[in-house]
Amino acid sequence: MGDSERVPTIEAAGLTKRYGEVVAVDEVGLQVASGDIYALVGLNGAGKTTLIRMLLGMIAPTRGTVRVLGAEVSAGDRSAWARTGYLIDTPAAYSELTVRENLHLIARLRRLPGPAARVGEVIHRLALTPYADRRARTLSMGNAQRLALAKALIHRPDLLILDEPVNGLDPAGVVEIRNLLSGLAREHGTTVLLSSHLLGEVTRLATRIAVIHNGRLLTEIDPHRLHGQTRRLEVATRDDARAARVLAERGLSPAPAPAPGDGLVLAEEHAVEHPDRIATALVEAGCPPTRLVVREEDLEQYFLRLVGQADA
Amino acid sequence: MREALLAELLKVRRSLMPWLTAGTFTFVAAVCAIFMFILADPARARALGLLGDKAQLSGAAADWPGYLALLAQATGVGGLIIFGTVVTWLFGREFSDRTAKDLLALPTSRGAVVAAKFAVAAGWAVLLALWTAVLGLLAGIPLDLPGASSAVVAGGVARIVVTALLTLVLTTPFALAASAGRGYLPAVGAMFAAMFSAQVIAALGYGAFFPYSVPGLYAGIAGPGHDPPGPLGHLLVLAVGVAGVAATTIWWKRADHDR
Repeated sequence: MGDSERVPTIEAAGLTKRYGEVVAVDEVGLQVASGDIYALVGLNGAGKTTLIRMLLGMIAPTRGTVRVLGAEVSAGDRSAWARTGYLIDTPAAYSELTVRENLHLIARLRRLPGPAARVGEVIHRLALTPYADRRARTLSMGNAQRLALAKALIHRPDLLILDEPVNGLDPAGVVEIRNLLSGLAREHGTTVLLSSHLLGEVTRLATRIAVIHNGRLLTEIDPHRLHGQTRRLEVATRDDARAARVLAERGLSPAPAPAPGDGLVLAEEHAVEHPDRIATALVEAGCPPTRLVVREEDLEQYFLRLVGQADA
Repeated sequence: MREALLAELLKVRRSLMPWLTAGTFTFVAAVCAIFMFILADPARARALGLLGDKAQLSGAAADWPGYLALLAQATGVGGLIIFGTVVTWLFGREFSDRTAKDLLALPTSRGAVVAAKFAVAAGWAVLLALWTAVLGLLAGIPLDLPGASSAVVAGGVARIVVTALLTLVLTTPFALAASAGRGYLPAVGAMFAAMFSAQVIAALGYGAFFPYSVPGLYAGIAGPGHDPPGPLGHLLVLAVGVAGVAATTIWWKRADHDR
């Protein structure tokens, strides 16, 4: 077992960023293992980009530490950047330079040997060949995003940090980038940390998903085990307040359903596995259920419920 | 540093900036030559319609020393705008075009990126000053002005280059304004504030102690009867330049790059 399998590629502990009274990132701790595709999902303004910029040493944390590829980023160690590719925010390029020149410039700043060959390779890989000698200002949004990804990939990095990598791409482009990223992780062991709003896309691609809201990391999900984590028992009675008391007395934690008047929701595994026992308990307490449904949430519903609970 | 320098040179080569700034200094040299042409023979200029009937010209002598001093003064005044624009463009464009973020986590350090930008600005300013001097000399030959000697020409050219260097040094705080202000506008504002203050403070008689007035006074803008600024003035210029470079480098290295 190599060191890379024991030491996380990214390790953040107690990461906090305050701007005056505003807490942009609040005590976030995360570990991303080598070869993982780790996705950050969250609403606009949740703190994803601030967190990513802290991981890249662009923003100094108010508190906490970041270690990337063994380098103490929060202490100013820059040694990880030769092995890290990144794309932050909206794609940008020097508009007066061609696609090839933009990539050549990055290859030079990354001190790559044989930059022309690397540029040609990444142009081909990102399907930018027809646009290689066009000025960046003439590119469509999708191709500008491809160019930004090409800049992140040109040095064959061990770690990719991508903020909204499929923004602006058409459906075929989204599939292409998904295949590219999963291929990099599978075949080359590249670690990928990405942020996205596209929950469906994230479920298909990521090996771990972190939900971030109001700067806090609410939970981490294994998408392959999402099934077990996102089943809920929905209970409706004629007196939900009384039913909630009865269930609470039995050690359960009933929560109001997202839509008012839709009854209660139970997340406990034993409740989901044995809805008959819940029905019996309610009948014995004199508030029989009028509806009892085991419902499986998709990531979108699960995410919205988590965020709703956090806000409450 | 070498990689960052080559990257900056590629950006500059592909931009309009070299053409626009060289064009502006060509215009400046041409205007100085025309002014000398008029001053050398006002009656001829009136006959050609270059000078109004009642216009009186004063403050410059129609000879080689006067002509080269005029070029140096134009370099000092125009230089603050042109060199300032170059520095503002080199730094401000990274924020206006949102490309700065791509320069922040690379094997090439942020310090090297900043140093490369200042080096390109300095190199280009020297080339522009030499271009202005050469153009001025070439344009001066057909004017047939009196007082030409190799010592006068060498001294005049040196004064143009030194004025350009003094002016260039004073533009480094505009790099900080463009970086911390994340775009062109704050730097342009700072540039005009510096220019305006230089004029007012020089007019009040304290120009020798105000860095932004020093290049103009060194070039002889106050006229032949006035002493050039002393060592303190030059030291203040140097202090502003060093502070501008240091503050810009520190800002790129330490500031939160959250946009």
